[in-house]
Amino acid sequence: MEPCDAARPGFDRVAGAPPRRLLLPPLLLSLLLGRGLRVAAAASASSGAAAEDSSAMEELATEKEAEESHRQDSVSLLTFILLLTLTILTIWLFKHRRVRFLHETGLAMIYGLIVGVILRYGTPATSGRDKSLSCTQEDRAFSTLLVNVSGKFFEYTLKGEISPGKINSVEQNDMLRKVTFDPEVFFNILLPPIIFHAGYSLKKRHFFRNLGSILAYAFLGTAVSCFIIGNLMYGVVKLMKIMGQLSDKFYYTDCLFFGAIISATDPVTVLAIFNELHADVDLYALLFGESVLNDAVAIVLSSSIVAYQPAGLNTHAFDAAAFFKSVGIFLGIFSGSFTMGAVTGVVTALVTKFTKLHCFPLLETALFFLMSWSTFLLAEACGFTGVVAVLFCGITQAHYTYNNLSVESRSRTKQLFEVLHFLAENFIFSYMGLALFTFQKHVFSPVFIIGAFVAIFLGRAAHIYPLSFFLNLGRRHKIGWNFQHMMMFSGLRGAMAFALAIRDTASYARQMMFTTTLLIVFFTVWIIGGGTTPMLSWLNIRVGVDPDQDPPPNNDSFQVLQGDGPDSARGNRTKQESAWIFRLWYSFDHNYLKPILTHSGPPLTTTLPAWCGLLARCLTSPQVYDNQEPLREEDSDFILTEGDLTLTYGDSTVTANGSSGSHTGSTSLEGSRRTKSSSEEVLERDLGMGDQKVSSRGTRLVFPLEDNA
Amino acid sequence: MERQSRAMSEKNEYQFQHQGAVELLVFNFLLILTILTIWLFKNHRFRFLHETGGAMVYGLIMGLILRYATAPTDVESGTVYDCVKLTFSPSTLLVNITDQVYEYKYKREISQHNISPHQGNPILEKMTFDPEIFFNVLLPPIIFHAGYSLKKRHFFQNLGSILTYAFLGTAISCIVIGLIMYGFVKAMIHADQLKNGDFHFTDCLFFGSLMSATDPVTVLAIFHELHVDPDLYILLFGESVLNDAVAIVLTYSISIYSPKENPNAFDAAAFFQSVGNFLGIFAGSFAMGSAYAIITALLTKFTKLCEFPMLETGLFFLLSWSAFLSAEAAGLTGIVAVLFCGVTQAHYTYNNLSSDSKVRTKQLFEFMNFLAENVIFCYMGLALFTFQNHIFNALFILGAFLAIFVARACNIYPLSFLLNLGRKQKIPWNFQHMMMFSGLRGAIAFALAIRNTESQPKQMMFTTTLLLVFFTVWIFGGGTTPMLTWLQIRVGVDLDENLKEDPSPQHQEANNLDKTMTKAESARLFRMWYGFDHKYLKPILTHSGPPLTTTLPEWCGPISRLLTSSQAYGEQLKEDDVECIVNQDELAMNYQEQASPCSPPARLGLDQKASPQTPGKENIYEGDLGLGGYELKLEQTSGQSHLN
Repeated sequence: MEPCDAARPGFDRVAGAPPRRLLLPPLLLSLLLGRGLRVAAAASASSGAAAEDSSAMEELATEKEAEESHRQDSVSLLTFILLLTLTILTIWLFKHRRVRFLHETGLAMIYGLIVGVILRYGTPATSGRDKSLSCTQEDRAFSTLLVNVSGKFFEYTLKGEISPGKINSVEQNDMLRKVTFDPEVFFNILLPPIIFHAGYSLKKRHFFRNLGSILAYAFLGTAVSCFIIGNLMYGVVKLMKIMGQLSDKFYYTDCLFFGAIISATDPVTVLAIFNELHADVDLYALLFGESVLNDAVAIVLSSSIVAYQPAGLNTHAFDAAAFFKSVGIFLGIFSGSFTMGAVTGVVTALVTKFTKLHCFPLLETALFFLMSWSTFLLAEACGFTGVVAVLFCGITQAHYTYNNLSVESRSRTKQLFEVLHFLAENFIFSYMGLALFTFQKHVFSPVFIIGAFVAIFLGRAAHIYPLSFFLNLGRRHKIGWNFQHMMMFSGLRGAMAFALAIRDTASYARQMMFTTTLLIVFFTVWIIGGGTTPMLSWLNIRVGVDPDQDPPPNNDSFQVLQGDGPDSARGNRTKQESAWIFRLWYSFDHNYLKPILTHSGPPLTTTLPAWCGLLARCLTSPQVYDNQEPLREEDSDFILTEGDLTLTYGDSTVTANGSSGSHTGSTSLEGSRRTKSSSEEVLERDLGMGDQKVSSRGTRLVFPLEDNA
Repeated sequence: MERQSRAMSEKNEYQFQHQGAVELLVFNFLLILTILTIWLFKNHRFRFLHETGGAMVYGLIMGLILRYATAPTDVESGTVYDCVKLTFSPSTLLVNITDQVYEYKYKREISQHNISPHQGNPILEKMTFDPEIFFNVLLPPIIFHAGYSLKKRHFFQNLGSILTYAFLGTAISCIVIGLIMYGFVKAMIHADQLKNGDFHFTDCLFFGSLMSATDPVTVLAIFHELHVDPDLYILLFGESVLNDAVAIVLTYSISIYSPKENPNAFDAAAFFQSVGNFLGIFAGSFAMGSAYAIITALLTKFTKLCEFPMLETGLFFLLSWSAFLSAEAAGLTGIVAVLFCGVTQAHYTYNNLSSDSKVRTKQLFEFMNFLAENVIFCYMGLALFTFQNHIFNALFILGAFLAIFVARACNIYPLSFLLNLGRKQKIPWNFQHMMMFSGLRGAIAFALAIRNTESQPKQMMFTTTLLLVFFTVWIFGGGTTPMLTWLQIRVGVDLDENLKEDPSPQHQEANNLDKTMTKAESARLFRMWYGFDHKYLKPILTHSGPPLTTTLPEWCGPISRLLTSSQAYGEQLKEDDVECIVNQDELAMNYQEQASPCSPPARLGLDQKASPQTPGKENIYEGDLGLGGYELKLEQTSGQSHLN
């Protein structure tokens, strides 16, 4: 490190606006080759005479160096790929032998750890050849820098800002540096397929039945957990300050930020076991739905906490204006991302409906993929959160577009995203294992770590039990104690918490958070994930439930008490369990959105009022008229999802239609709601679950109605 | 204050991200548009524009808009400071700007005269990919898919001819183009359009080699759709696939060729070093690719991974990718490795996969191929306007057009003539014309050309390549259907039927006899390989073929029992593996007949010496050998590595 003040580094304003080239391809590329081309152009004072020859030689040398670095990058990527291969083989062995205590993600982490240890202690440390130049006449950093080194021009791109304290420790080990990825890779390449796949496979029949509870857990629960963890951690930090263990600043907002990132639960392990053992479907849907929506909430929450910047002099006092601004940002980003995702989903549905693209499954799949990816990019371009948009896009795609796809495309898209999801997830987890050793700025603080462990358990408990209590007030089908314990137990942390934590590791506080997050992920995935099967049997949660069999084929879902055992009675009652707002949405969805966006549902001509008959005819696909029965069969998957709800709805429409005596289909929303709420009042206690929950959910529930209407 | 500034920099970061997202979005929309248009075309059975052509058109339009509709921002052109103390260019640069330290990463070297164009339009610059992206991200799936779908039954029947076209043909075409271009360059120097000394003969050869990579996607798509004669299809397809590999390695070895003193003079040592490079890289990549495929085959054979199709697909994908990365890490050519990996995977691993995985892998790579191909063609259209250092030189472009036609003619007609001397089923004139006509250039030529656009000759080459690709894809691609009818090439041939009974109108005189002869048409060396493959490799690597216990000598009984899968003993296997057996059975049967008089190892020894004289008693069956010793030698290197 030799600061040469006399030397004037060549600064060239290449462009005024912050120009970086296409970000994502370089990211992909930087995975493959980009990291730090090491060029040592022999810059002997070249006399002009031997210019051509020596420059040719130099060029060759440079090329060779570049090649060398490319080779190293290939090696580092190869390391990851071989790790994944190893993981796959071991997983196969485990699955084959039915060993359930270690999930593939846990295994990926173990392999990552091993390689991390080897890289850390098995490779010699090289000394970085950095130069620090100070430049007085420039007041800001440019994204591209042209440097003239003895007649040759070199282009440099801005990589990031380094806090002055860290300059000396930037790079000791070349190899470690090579295997460290730009954190944005996680957000831009690895997380989107995972999240999209989660959204795309949310099309579980039980998801919509438990939508109310899931939303409550996801939104309220995450907020509760974030605040509790944040406050507890603030206490811990204060304690550390007293004990003198804190060497740098740690503000309350940092604590809240930690609370937000660590609230993103990711129980892949638990869910995989549930799936394999066919655990109770309701529990599965609750956990899965919560964890998926959870991620979205946590991302937006953490970014709005980062955005919280009080105005006045005291930057860490409470500032109401800034607080409300943060809340506004939260709502804005969330609803914006939601709209973005839903809109592109709807557009895809319309395109696939009105073109006959399903004759060419390849084209269809490609279109589907591109549209979904566009959602991500569009949201990022508009300043929303791409990952959240992708999640809702996935849900919408599953709900509408999926029904328009040809049979082949359905399996293609499913399999494609399954593979992408699998690879990305295991990649992240093996990177996590690696990062414990290769990340160079770990701050291990035992007090903080212990505090964090206590905090996440308390946060989880304060989230699950009270919310379940409130939900049980309204729910017909109570969430049993064993379910609550299981949910409490399944508070694993995973990819999302890690990605959020690694995104910014510039300050001391953030580094401490990152280390702690890493340890929490390890602990929860290995210990809690491994303990799932014993826990299931200990809590007496029923296992081996066939999800297809679960809703008994009784059309008379009103005969609630007809069941012979408590189990089947419970199954029946579950169907009436959503509040009427949801039912309103379902009927709207079934009557208008589905017919508009897909080939299924009743023809629009019957559901829309007579005066928009032309429009209705235009929008209804001919298939709907021709064969409603075959359609139903062909679409059974989707009908089943909705079956219970459409059944209840169907009954009420029959009464409505019966009273009006005509089949004009003018069953307006109000009418159906009124008849329903009157006739089914006895059955729906959900309404009575208190205004508190309804209002709290109201804010989010408005979205679907708004932007689809 | 500190916090404030951090927020600022965070905001900057945010801005960057937006920029990247917007540009990618542009590509996404272009692709979506292309898909919709293609659907329309397919729906109405328009065949004059292939999807790649469509992608190029949209790319062009978008490039036009970007070029002329966006205002070039006026950038204050800063002075480039000289740094006296900095005597080399380090990989990272830490810059201290008013107490903020920024880290800069080395990107590339810029030659002096390229500095100014960079300050034009920032949007155009942002729409420019790093050329390495083509080689590392976009081309591998395309090439792998090509290799993976080479598993056509006719491929092995025509292997000799295909290899001849791919190796000899590419070499011829490279040299012919190089020579013609050298002539034009000399003419340009006379016409004062070019400074003397800028454009060496090696540059011309470089251009020749990159121009030799044909890529008739358009033609093949139409052939596929119309069910054109499978022999013609496989000749073209096989040639174009192997062609790419040869052209890539050839280009690399030419760019490495650096004579010691005078760059223009011929230097024998450097030349042989280049040839050695070519052979080494080619054989190395081949070995790397097949090694990974064999590992995959063994893994899928000996684990019961087929219970979990997803894991299987994941493993398949990862190991194929590893082939690419390992080759790159070892200094070989990843793309070539991936190609041979694909071929080997299709030959062995494919038979071990569960039926679910078979479909999955096929679809996965098909999908990736589709996207990557269209992105490249789209980018080509865009690059015509957004690339800032175009050098349009009418003479050079004209010369290049002329050269590729002449070279294609020199490649197809003489080689076909030679091959016809040996082949029983001649390659008829209309096939030759069609092959001549199908010399489209595509993604590989473009990727090779864009890889290095630093110097002026390279920029000229890039521009010319771009124009050639446009021209060939649109004109030739669009003219395929008329050409097919004009040349009276039979259309609507059912692949499965074709083998058994098909007295086609063209081959009236040679009808049934001719068909049976086709089967005998590969040279003895190839047949030897088939026998070996069928008896030893297939049983070792897959669940199919005869059990090893019967094919191996007695003394290695334990090993053979160990390696033979339990399924090989049962007979249900044959049914399950029909596809691969069908592929081989004509050849395997053939081999059985031939091999009875003499034992294979002895013949191998004989063969190496006697190859020039082989047209002895077996002349009736195998003409392909008559194509000369050169090809055989090449074959041996690759064959050898296969045996390993």
